[in-house]
Amino acid sequence: MRLNSVKYLFKQGTRNIAYNKLMAFASFCVLLVSLLLVGFSLLFYVNINLLVADIEAKNEVIVFLDEDTSDERINSINKSLKAMENIDTVVFYSKEEAFAHLKASMADSEVLFDSMGDDNPLVDSFKIRIKDINFTDETVSEIEKLDNILSIRAPLEFVDILTGLKRVISIISVSIIIALIIVSMVIISNTTKASVFARRKEISIMKYVGATNAFIRIPFFVEGMLTGILSGVAATLTTWFGYDALVRVLTQDNDILKIFGTGSLVPFKDLALSVAVSYMVAGAVLGAIGCVISTRKHLKV
Amino acid sequence: MVELKNVSVKYPSGVEALKNVNLTINDGDFAFVVGSSGAGKSTLIKLILREIEATKGTVIVNGFNLSKLKRDKIPKLRRTIGVVFQDFRLIPNMTVYENIAFVLRVIDAPLKYIRKRVPYVISLVGLQHKVHSYPDELSGGEQQRVALARALVNDPQLIIADEPTGNIDPELSYEIVELLKGINNCGTTILMVTHEHDLVRHFGGRIISINSGSVVFDEIIGGNDEIK
Repeated sequence: MRLNSVKYLFKQGTRNIAYNKLMAFASFCVLLVSLLLVGFSLLFYVNINLLVADIEAKNEVIVFLDEDTSDERINSINKSLKAMENIDTVVFYSKEEAFAHLKASMADSEVLFDSMGDDNPLVDSFKIRIKDINFTDETVSEIEKLDNILSIRAPLEFVDILTGLKRVISIISVSIIIALIIVSMVIISNTTKASVFARRKEISIMKYVGATNAFIRIPFFVEGMLTGILSGVAATLTTWFGYDALVRVLTQDNDILKIFGTGSLVPFKDLALSVAVSYMVAGAVLGAIGCVISTRKHLKV
Repeated sequence: MVELKNVSVKYPSGVEALKNVNLTINDGDFAFVVGSSGAGKSTLIKLILREIEATKGTVIVNGFNLSKLKRDKIPKLRRTIGVVFQDFRLIPNMTVYENIAFVLRVIDAPLKYIRKRVPYVISLVGLQHKVHSYPDELSGGEQQRVALARALVNDPQLIIADEPTGNIDPELSYEIVELLKGINNCGTTILMVTHEHDLVRHFGGRIISINSGSVVFDEIIGGNDEIK
């Protein structure tokens, strides 16, 4: 095909949008709403995951050591803990630090601590962050096998609840997103079908003068793709303003997020590029495929 | 050239639209196809354009054996045929120039050729002053002349005119047939379907009459214009 013909077909595609303004606007709106529904659901999912990860990160396992464990042995335990696969960070917490912390936190009971003199009843410990809380049980068992371990405090029940919560949130979120994608596809398909149906005569004329299916489809493809990209741009801007406004309301005015134990939502600027690209690619693909598939029926002339 | 050998067409509804038709239209012929509604005229056109397939028999159009023609080769067949419809069938969002040029775009003609050929064809049908008009800005007669220009722009071997005068004033009908006659004089085969007997009587020529799916009359008669 000549370059001149390719240019002509692309020009026809853009002209068709201007000519079929109403149907193009309908397709644009349907694509926009579909992209926003799926996009906001995904953003909700991303933030819920962040919230859970935040709670997960606060989860701490404390390993208490036997009284009078030697410095050499403490070093050795430190190394062993760091070598364990599911352990993220290991921080040594000496009994002196612990005692000072206890005193500071119980400033009202100064008399009690004075009577104890230098006698420190506490023991040395390690504060550990677990990488994957699903395997907390296994990691605790592994630590227990080490010598000079007095006891381990691990929030196993909390881990169970959190893991369950994560699973439920994932299932619900993914189900909602899949349902929204399916509903969007059906609506998009019907809108493009209506748009193409309105132009079935035009398609049949093209067929009668000997146009190939590809020749007829390319302008529709371009038209659908451009409408999709425009919807993607509009969806990005709407999400940007909408999401930022939501973040402002939730973080500044009401401190609602603090109820959930987290300080903030993922800022839009961190997601902007992936959101914009996803919206535009999804819009372009859905628009183009929708248009091309809808023409198929009318090409059988 | 159009050749139908023992052709029958039966629709899925059971209606037999053409029954064992044998017909030859030679290159350079001008033939009127007449018949009442439901006689099988439209089926004949659909068959030649390969919109439908014959249930039985052989159809050869411009060297294409339609019973053996693959779907992806249909555009090639149609590029050898120009079609003029009763309802004009112009693309509404294209100007007169663009509607006609579209046929040449389809065959991937060079831009230089399109720029030369389209104004020439428009001048043949006398619409130089309407080049940039859209179909809805034209009268019925003018739209039909655009359709005619579109049909002949790629110099087809055969032009099928399906009731081309059905939607225009009677006096313009003669003008359209005159144009078709002029095109025919240049060597293009013309097959004109009509039910306007006055026109047929006036111009005369080869008359093919179809009734209930069969060719009942196929003769050359003299027209009034010849008698005068």
